[in-house]
Amino acid sequence: MKMVAAARIKRAQAAILASRPFAHEMDRLIEDLYGELEEDDFYGSEAQALFEDRPAGGTLCLVLVTADKGLCGSFNTNLLKAAASWLKENRSRKICVVAVGRKGRDFLRRLKGLDLEINFELVGIFPKTGYAHAQLLTDAVLKLYTEWPVESVTLVYNEFKSMMTQRIVTDQLLPLKRRILEKGSGARGKTGEFSFEPRKADLLGALLPRHISAQLYRTLLESQAAELAARMNAMESASKNANELIEGLTLTMNKTRQAMITTELNEIVSGSDALA
Amino acid sequence: MAKKQLLLTIVTPEKTVLYAKPVGFVSLPAVDGEMGVLPSHASFVVELKEGLMHYKDGPRKEVFSVLSGFAEIHKNKVLVLAEAAELLKEISEERARQAYQKAKETLAIRGADLDLDEAQAALRRAAVRIKASEFKRKHKL
Repeated sequence: MKMVAAARIKRAQAAILASRPFAHEMDRLIEDLYGELEEDDFYGSEAQALFEDRPAGGTLCLVLVTADKGLCGSFNTNLLKAAASWLKENRSRKICVVAVGRKGRDFLRRLKGLDLEINFELVGIFPKTGYAHAQLLTDAVLKLYTEWPVESVTLVYNEFKSMMTQRIVTDQLLPLKRRILEKGSGARGKTGEFSFEPRKADLLGALLPRHISAQLYRTLLESQAAELAARMNAMESASKNANELIEGLTLTMNKTRQAMITTELNEIVSGSDALA
Repeated sequence: MAKKQLLLTIVTPEKTVLYAKPVGFVSLPAVDGEMGVLPSHASFVVELKEGLMHYKDGPRKEVFSVLSGFAEIHKNKVLVLAEAAELLKEISEERARQAYQKAKETLAIRGADLDLDEAQAALRRAAVRIKASEFKRKHKL
């Protein structure tokens, strides 16, 4: 299993690298567009709904990305702990959940005594995540966001830091305003030299769902790579532990056998001594 | 002096299809109709619908199918952000149809929830390819 994970992780890492240019260019395009946008263009557009802060006190939405399978050390456990503490913080609120991965879904189903609803689940997608999965997820999240009075959408997943470490990340996916303005580095102000087709606001409205899918796609890939890395490490230490155990047991076995032989010899020798 | 050229980059979430390839002419399927881009074009941001884009590099012409996305033209650089882009030559209509059928059947069985999402994703991919190959037939490429 360690070998399997090791072989797959190469592909997973390549997928992360391949997805970067797209996400990067997308961010840049959005930042530029946001900089070019005039206030009155913006109001009442589709795009505005995704940017605007919503009144506090509405439903909260959680997107939880876990693995489908176990045997990957503390990967799922830590993630579920983080999710549980988030749920505890917001236990008085109505919560809707989008679950990715079988482990997370099963965990959420077992929970009782919370005002919680699983609205969408995506299982069995690892380790062959594609952009199409991210699109399905985006559709579900956006549908939830437009149809329900959802205050904010929070994302909980494992980030792939290195082969040895994963980091749990809690991130706000929607509304968008904070995310993009926080970066703010690419805003070069209005240049006015671009032409747009269709109108800027419509363009932004069409661009944002794609931006969200690119985000979610990255999240899925990160989680996938992190899972494989965790599994690889877990399986490696499992083999190491088993080897140590075998060594110890072999020693014990040999000692016991030797002791048995010695006792038997002793008996034979003392028996023949008595006869003589 | 060398002739002015456009640098064409096509990226999709799954891979970078082309990176800064110098070409002479690009045609894009914009939402309001096809749009041709020659070197020294004005800066432009445009939304794309699914369709065919092609570029000319001297006498060579390559055709791609793209699924909805965006294009940015700025300082002789053309950047295409598409959800999917494939060389038209590499798409086989027969295979796309088979994949579409298979995904439909898997979805019809339901019950076993394992690969439902996978099937839905496959359905989407196949639908795009079928669309592309229909374009291909219409334009006799």
